Amino acid sequence: MVADRQPFEDLYRAYLGRIYAYVRAQVGSSADAEDITAQVFMNAYQAYARFEARHTTPAAWLFRIARNATLDHFRAHGRRERLRRTIEHQPVAEEDPSGVAEERIQYRALLGRVAQLPERQRDAISLRHSGLSFEEVGALLKCSEDAAKMLYHRAVKALKEAVERESV
Amino acid sequence: MSEPEDLELEALQRQLDDAFETTRPRAGFEDELWTRMQAHRPAGTRLRDAWLGLVQGIREVPAVPMAAVAAVLVVVLGAGALVYSGLGRGGGAASTAAGGAESAAQPGAAVSSLGAFGRLPSPALAAGATRGPSSAQPGAAPAADYAGLVALKWTGKLVLNMGTAPVFRYQEPSTNAADQFATSLGAILVSRPAGFLGSYQTTDLSVRVRGTIQSPVSEPTFIILPIASVGAIDAAGGPADLALVFLAEHSLAPSWQYTSDAVSAGDVSKVTLYRQFGVTGYGFAYLVDGTGQRYGLEVDLKGGRPTAATGPLPLSLDSAPYAIITADEAVRSALASAPAVAGSGVPTATLTTAELVYSLAVAGDHSFYEPSILFSGTFTVNGTTYVKRVLVPAVNPSQRSS
Repeated sequence: MVADRQPFEDLYRAYLGRIYAYVRAQVGSSADAEDITAQVFMNAYQAYARFEARHTTPAAWLFRIARNATLDHFRAHGRRERLRRTIEHQPVAEEDPSGVAEERIQYRALLGRVAQLPERQRDAISLRHSGLSFEEVGALLKCSEDAAKMLYHRAVKALKEAVERESV
Repeated sequence: MSEPEDLELEALQRQLDDAFETTRPRAGFEDELWTRMQAHRPAGTRLRDAWLGLVQGIREVPAVPMAAVAAVLVVVLGAGALVYSGLGRGGGAASTAAGGAESAAQPGAAVSSLGAFGRLPSPALAAGATRGPSSAQPGAAPAADYAGLVALKWTGKLVLNMGTAPVFRYQEPSTNAADQFATSLGAILVSRPAGFLGSYQTTDLSVRVRGTIQSPVSEPTFIILPIASVGAIDAAGGPADLALVFLAEHSLAPSWQYTSDAVSAGDVSKVTLYRQFGVTGYGFAYLVDGTGQRYGLEVDLKGGRPTAATGPLPLSLDSAPYAIITADEAVRSALASAPAVAGSGVPTATLTTAELVYSLAVAGDHSFYEPSILFSGTFTVNGTTYVKRVLVPAVNPSQRSS
């Protein structure tokens, strides 16, 4: 029933920032994050007529689209570059000077470290800290709620070790 | 796990919470993206939003454009002075080809398999401009439309030997893509005004880039205006040559196939490079707007100096072949687009020419250049001769979503 559905603009305003942060933690560049975020909401806007709230939450639905868009982005552009950065342990470049002022500098390095984790660990951290429940994270990563918790905790430990290695 | 390690992990989790909570897009991105989405949303979505707004009474929604729902639109163009040259014929003057006239493919287009883009939206046709492409005087007022009923008759000959024609697809450009285009011109970002992806400047030019517009339908476009008077172009030849030199100097010469045409009045000239798409078994088909007018890249000149240039933003195109209707089916569709009229007093337009053309169909984050058949003819009412055009989507109806 169409009239039961929340207007898309409300969804857009509520989730734009969270989706952007999720994508930003994946790709490590604000310009790419903007492009992918735009793609996510364009796709969501087109597909909203088919969204059924009884099957999933709006958050899980949007993050699924975001995850797919991010994976598409890597497939199309960045896989090789990401791999190079990971191998070289380079800090992720920030190409957009205006973006620096708008992101808290002290957290950029942390998100850069998240971006260098293996794909599922990166997703587990990003989805969880974007506000999804472990059940929703599990559904998106196609595993159980318990497995999602386990994956997340391993990911945080791996991140901690990466941060410690960096500071040595 | 030791207690200190637990505390360290909790601290890291708090940092992650803060990092995700405080990482947000730049100021203005939210409204900018929303504006883009509004500009690109399909007619059905607008209609549903309008209905929701009516039911809930809490949200204002722009009106649904009548033209957006038409599958086949008849455009009647009034022409006090009959606009004819260029219709269904060779068009303008010299022709240049990035891919060579023998090449049927759009240069640079990645080719996919038959029907690879899925069901396609029908071209978003809309009545609007009434200028003829090759006789319009710069600054001339458009002729009036004929608003009455018109019956149709077909006396021409249409031959379509090919069973398929390519559909070309582009992805909606981002601000990043617009910035890259501007950078290639040596321009720097000034602002992102509403309705545009960006506004840029070089030392002597002002550049604006906007995305796809749904009504009247238009692809992503750049607009270039001199900030100060740009010097006269040092080149021999007519306006078309001057325009091409100007475009080449700024790396704006099109990579697509075109024919050129120049119209002058006094020291003012408008040069248009009409865009074409290659079709195996047919040749080159012109790109037309929602009124059936050919269009492409325009350069305005005054006294040999460029005063403006407008054209499609260079975008990479994918292409996929689609089955198209037969000539007979196209003619039947064209004739069926006229309302059934009985009795006397209703003028009859005699459609005498038909050609394969391409028109833009807007569909969210991807839009399509699709083949269509453009029928043209004339009729006379009260001593005034009008041009009538009928545009029929050529992609087989089984491959169209609307």
